[in-house]
Amino acid sequence: MHLILFVLFAGICLAGAINLLLQSHPINSALSLIVVMTSLAVLYLLLGAEFLAAAQIIVYSGAIMVLFTFVVMLLNAGREERTMGSGVARVVGFPAVVVILAVIATVILHAQGLGVASLSDPITTTEDLSKVLFHELLLPFEVTSVLILIAILGAVALARHGHGDPEAQGERTAGK
Amino acid sequence: MNLLSQEVPISWYLLLSAILCSRGVVGFLIKRNLITMFMSIELMLNAVNLSFVTFA
Repeated sequence: MHLILFVLFAGICLAGAINLLLQSHPINSALSLIVVMTSLAVLYLLLGAEFLAAAQIIVYSGAIMVLFTFVVMLLNAGREERTMGSGVARVVGFPAVVVILAVIATVILHAQGLGVASLSDPITTTEDLSKVLFHELLLPFEVTSVLILIAILGAVALARHGHGDPEAQGERTAGK
Repeated sequence: MNLLSQEVPISWYLLLSAILCSRGVVGFLIKRNLITMFMSIELMLNAVNLSFVTFA
């Protein structure tokens, strides 16, 4: 059962990734990215991470992809021309990608003691997760929230840049 | 019956993660649009997430 589900959803995932590369319109790329993320959520469920699977569907397939489609439609991004990358990408990038993938695949396939993943593995419930997150890892959790706050402030500063009144811009440049 | 009770090696998940990540890099290289490049970065991020969950 595990093998069948894994092969099925890994195939869907890889097909979605290929489709993301082949489509020339950004909306089609976004829709195939939704397919990739939803099948990844099923793979998380197979690995016993039920909370992460739910978060993957809600946050990635839901919120982030809606944000992507909003941005695509707001910017009115049309069909892109296919350039197959710049010269540097063609000369250095693609061989580097192939070599790195080959090295990683060789290392993974020759690694010993990785074991198997079975459906009878214990599921990490939300209770276990929150016990770890709010007792032992409380300080990193709070530091992460401060980091998100800094990111919000940076987004506000970047969005206001160039749209404020000229006096405020003059003050800002004078302050620098 | 044998197929139904079969387990999946951990290395298959890691291999899937590596393939997805390399496809993200290829997408980052061949795409010209800023939004689709960002989508390729999201694909790489999700591939790394899959490997994290596999090791957990």
